Amino acid sequence: MDDYVITVLSNIGMISFIALSAYLLLLTGEISFGQQAYFGLSAYAAGAATAMFQMPIWAGILVGACAAGIIAMVVGALTLQLSGLYFSVATLAFAEMARLILLIVEIQVEVDGEMVGPEGANGFHGIRWMFERDISLTEFMLLIYGLLALTVICLLLVERSRLGSVLRMLGSDDLLAEMQGLNTVRYRILAVGAAGVIAGVGGALYAHFTTYVEPQFFNVMLGVHALAYGLIGGLGTAFGPLIGVAIDVGFLEAIRFIQGYRMIVFGGLVAILLIFMPRGILDEERVHRLKAVFSRRNHARA
Amino acid sequence: MLELRGLSKHFGGVKAVDELDITVQEGEIFGLIGPNGSGKSTTINLICGVYQETAGTVRFHEELMNGKPPHQRLRAGIARTFQNIRLFPNLTVWQNLWVAQNSPEDLATQGFLSRWFGATRQTRREIATLLELADLEHKSDELASNLAFGEQRRLEFARAAAARPKLLLLDEPAAGMNRQEIHDLSLRIRRIRDSGVTILLVEHVMELVMGVAEQIAVLNFGQKIASGTPGDVQRNKAVQEAYLGTSDSDAPSLDTGD
Repeated sequence: MDDYVITVLSNIGMISFIALSAYLLLLTGEISFGQQAYFGLSAYAAGAATAMFQMPIWAGILVGACAAGIIAMVVGALTLQLSGLYFSVATLAFAEMARLILLIVEIQVEVDGEMVGPEGANGFHGIRWMFERDISLTEFMLLIYGLLALTVICLLLVERSRLGSVLRMLGSDDLLAEMQGLNTVRYRILAVGAAGVIAGVGGALYAHFTTYVEPQFFNVMLGVHALAYGLIGGLGTAFGPLIGVAIDVGFLEAIRFIQGYRMIVFGGLVAILLIFMPRGILDEERVHRLKAVFSRRNHARA
Repeated sequence: MLELRGLSKHFGGVKAVDELDITVQEGEIFGLIGPNGSGKSTTINLICGVYQETAGTVRFHEELMNGKPPHQRLRAGIARTFQNIRLFPNLTVWQNLWVAQNSPEDLATQGFLSRWFGATRQTRREIATLLELADLEHKSDELASNLAFGEQRRLEFARAAAARPKLLLLDEPAAGMNRQEIHDLSLRIRRIRDSGVTILLVEHVMELVMGVAEQIAVLNFGQKIASGTPGDVQRNKAVQEAYLGTSDSDAPSLDTGD
């Protein structure tokens, strides 16, 4: 594989994390325009951990993901009183606030005679873990997909579980869930925190893949895309948002002649799908039918 | 077991429920009737915590329920069904019952892992029993949205039972049913009561209420205008006026049909 293909595949992998993060909240019926904030904050936190404090990468990812999860829960506790559109606007406002703060944060420490750390609008250079350890692009891609596989497996297990059903309950009728004895506030905060962690893992990987992050990358368009991936790919299974990412970052990226028009094609695709498949390609109904087909086949075999 | 005292709910200037006093005894079937807009559904919503009362108290087993969120009231033993069927359409029939098992007994007996990530054998057995009682075994893996109207009603009842309630609030369960179905429904309501569940029945269909309820309270414009046994209520002048008015021929009849 040449470097270009590896880079595209790695991007698909890393963007998948933020897509899964937005998907988890879509399941609970919340539309967040702010998941890019957790992706970005974690990129900074993880970068700081490895570049400024010489931590190993797994510690960096852990620091980034935990920071993102905790901040997400705090923001969640403050904003979940809001519902629907108000929640969406609040998440957007928070994400922009986080981005603007990153634009002014300047903390430099000296590492091996060089100053490293976030430099406000100039971004955060020198997250050179990959070079220092002589990690190849391919190896890093395997790390990305390893963690992605782990995340997807966790989500699939949750979806099969009662917890997964409860998350879908919040999405379809949270008052009914509450009247059935579920503390909906608690599960909402749990979902918001888990979504923060997932976005955080992606952000931490991103910082180490690109070696350089700047606040501008974590603007609202990243969050809007993250939402769109789940809506395109489908809300019936965690594979849905992955399909969405593959269509956008993979397929549309690969077709060179539409390069300049990619956003137009993508936007049109989202609009068409929302009209004909409001809950995406793999929606609950289709996933349910697919499962029925598979289980029948298994029964036939047994 | 359920005591409403001076219960009021005002929406702006409208007094949907006004100074309501009701006592439901353990083990009885209590009917709450009244013309459209008389405050019956509001009363149910106040009892299960969907609305905050403007004034007054709700006591359940002597415990003050005011200010408690709906999930705590369910855990105290108050479950309900809905006038317009409310299920989780994206979940299967089985899952709809699975997620309804939130009674204190269930929370105590299921460990963390088996509660959230598995289903114990006992859980499966109980759901199987509920499905059988509701005559829905063959629909277990069907999405709730794909059920027929009558099946959805039965699933709602089964779901309410899955919560192991002590008090069951039935909000117009006979809506859209024919005579035969109403007859079946009244048998089912008696059977639920005989299994030890107190029932508060809010209903339009007189045939059902008069046939099945032991005590009845009549609401009009948010106020209780009469109460007593079905016979008392039927003979009550104020009730007859509220329902029949002086010239309103569309009003439902108090005739029980027998």
